[in-house]
Amino acid sequence: MADIQIIDVDKHFGANHVIRKLNLQIRHGEFVVLLGPSGCGKTTTLRALAGLENIDSGEIRIGGRRVDQLPPQERDTAFVFQLYSLYPHLTAFDNIAFPLRAAGMPDAKVREAVTAVAKVLRIDHLLRKRPSALAGGDMQRVTIGRALVRRPAAMLMDEPIGALDAKLREEMRAELRRLHIENDSTTVYVTHDQVEAMSMADKIGVMNDGLLQQYDSPTKVYDEPANLFVAQFVGSPIMNVVDCEIAATANGAGLRLPGMSEAVRLGPRAAAKLHGGAAAADELMLGIRPEAIAVSRTPVAGAIAARVHLIEPMGPYDIVDIMTATGHDDGATLRARTASRFVRAQGEPVWLSLDDARTHFFNKRSSQLLRAAA
Amino acid sequence: MARVSLTGVSKRYGAVRAVNALTLDIRDREFFVLLGPTGAGKSTTLRCIAGLDQPDEGDIAIAGERVNDWSAAQRDVALVFQQYSLYPNYTVRENLAFPLKSKLRNLSAQQIEARVAKAASTVRITHLMDRRTDRLSGGEMQRVSIGRAIVREPRVFLMDEPLSNLDAKLRELLRAELKGLQQRLETTLIFVTHDQVEAMTMGDRIGVVNKGELIQVGAPHEIYNTPKNTFVASFVGAPAINLFDVTLDLSAGTAHDGALSFTLEPGTQAQLGALPIPNDRRVRVGVRPEDVKLVAAGGVAGTIYGAEHHGVEIIAIIQAGDHMLRATIPADSNVAVNQPVQFSFTQEKLHFFDPLTGDSLSQR
Repeated sequence: MADIQIIDVDKHFGANHVIRKLNLQIRHGEFVVLLGPSGCGKTTTLRALAGLENIDSGEIRIGGRRVDQLPPQERDTAFVFQLYSLYPHLTAFDNIAFPLRAAGMPDAKVREAVTAVAKVLRIDHLLRKRPSALAGGDMQRVTIGRALVRRPAAMLMDEPIGALDAKLREEMRAELRRLHIENDSTTVYVTHDQVEAMSMADKIGVMNDGLLQQYDSPTKVYDEPANLFVAQFVGSPIMNVVDCEIAATANGAGLRLPGMSEAVRLGPRAAAKLHGGAAAADELMLGIRPEAIAVSRTPVAGAIAARVHLIEPMGPYDIVDIMTATGHDDGATLRARTASRFVRAQGEPVWLSLDDARTHFFNKRSSQLLRAAA
Repeated sequence: MARVSLTGVSKRYGAVRAVNALTLDIRDREFFVLLGPTGAGKSTTLRCIAGLDQPDEGDIAIAGERVNDWSAAQRDVALVFQQYSLYPNYTVRENLAFPLKSKLRNLSAQQIEARVAKAASTVRITHLMDRRTDRLSGGEMQRVSIGRAIVREPRVFLMDEPLSNLDAKLRELLRAELKGLQQRLETTLIFVTHDQVEAMTMGDRIGVVNKGELIQVGAPHEIYNTPKNTFVASFVGAPAINLFDVTLDLSAGTAHDGALSFTLEPGTQAQLGALPIPNDRRVRVGVRPEDVKLVAAGGVAGTIYGAEHHGVEIIAIIQAGDHMLRATIPADSNVAVNQPVQFSFTQEKLHFFDPLTGDSLSQR
């Protein structure tokens, strides 16, 4: 069993506080993605797990054993880098076999292990080739094969498919995930690409400025982002975040965005997040994903009157930029997802309804998500 | 009027044919995107239009005038690159004013100031005017680069991957800004990118280029819905279109290839009957992930190989024999790895290609 525990880990590079009191519990068999922009501390965390960086304080445990004082080779982890670190003069077979032979494994067993891992990675037909004769995706498969063949307690991957083209990345995403399941591995994977994180992870740890922002399943991170940073880092197109005002209407709490002459009534679930106006004392921001805005081309009672600013066709659907201002006032821009070619022209008037359950509010000062009372 | 016309333009670098007999008409005030992978010839085409490279053959005309022999300056076009080519020791204001100080332009100090102020407000950098450009973020620098192109009021904007160095969020923001900007300025803009999302979302029309050849020109929805060959079909759209070969039996109304066999609907059968099917009755089928549906019964049998939860939807990867297909399904669907499923296609959305040439059978 290879649970990984990161307990109160701190790390500085000079004056730079790169990991701030990090706590992460990773269970055996989980695929955990550390996601964040460059400089957020994700790679340093991964390197600290591998033993490639020392930590200032805190504890790291792998399979129950404290490892933070152990050298890399005694931690039973395997590390895959973005750049293929293969020996150019060795064949793919010999590259994969290298760590086994170094450990003194007999030839027959080496052959068996390499063949098995190559089959899973679908490179069994390439084993006699040297790295220079391989395509980028195949080279990275060989690199992964070399890491996997030792059956390490934990697989650590640092942007392993970042250098590949879009289509190959799409394929490799599915294969890496599949490999993880078939090998019953524990995987920690670092990326700045939210699509990779969403598509592969059991759990995503979103990091920024050395601080863990949220640690949850992809669905939870997407549906209930803990703060404005997470809300705008995960999801494409990004979640709409706009200034808003909470106003009373005849039928309860209402919402007014810049450019709107009067407030529209909020649904009960959105209103519950405001705690009866207690939250409205603070400045709030509305957060709503493009697919949670319903667009109508004919007037709808209680909807937000707006007009189309830009249409961005994506192929299967359109993203439509909509301005809430119908007059001269500067309005807010909201992006909505509609069926392909649903809205016909720029400047067209439209009516917007916000999905009640997927209407979020953030405290502008603390950037935290407002939650309804349990 | 600033139409840009290329007629039979070719450009070689040594033995490499970078651009091959390219003929293209870009309309006045059009946002035109040249889309293709690295090495397709799109940047070379742009450099030929700008006057930075000379074509070996063919004519380039701007606003109806042949400009092959004109210098880059005479062509009155502005080029924006992926790398911000700003003067690092100068302020934003000085960088913007620079192209206007040329003696050829003969502008007064007030005229320069007015044009700089206007360009700065257009690209929203008025608050940064006195800052040195090496103190700016990537997004701000690229706004200054675009501002410096605008200030010249050129007949045509040429942009070579201007968003590629920026992070995903900023790219998304600038995409919409750039499209809005081009519409307000009412100028012809030719934009080079390898990113199909940029092409789809910004272009009035897209020209897809591969290996020096212009393959297809059309509005984004045309490129997406009626790709001319398998290259265009798989280069545009994410997740990529599913492609697989089948043998047709039109009299029985079936298409089959091992585990992937399905019944053709009457409409599909009639459509195929009118197409030039190869003699061995093998065709390559293209089906977009949004046109693959999971069904309760009566579909093709497969198993779930992987399921990617993207928040807004799930991409299910379905294995059927040797075939692997992607389907985009609703976010609340219940799918688990190794679960047996059945799937079918939205048949009116199927594409058929010649397996040998990759060309669409319906667009000859």
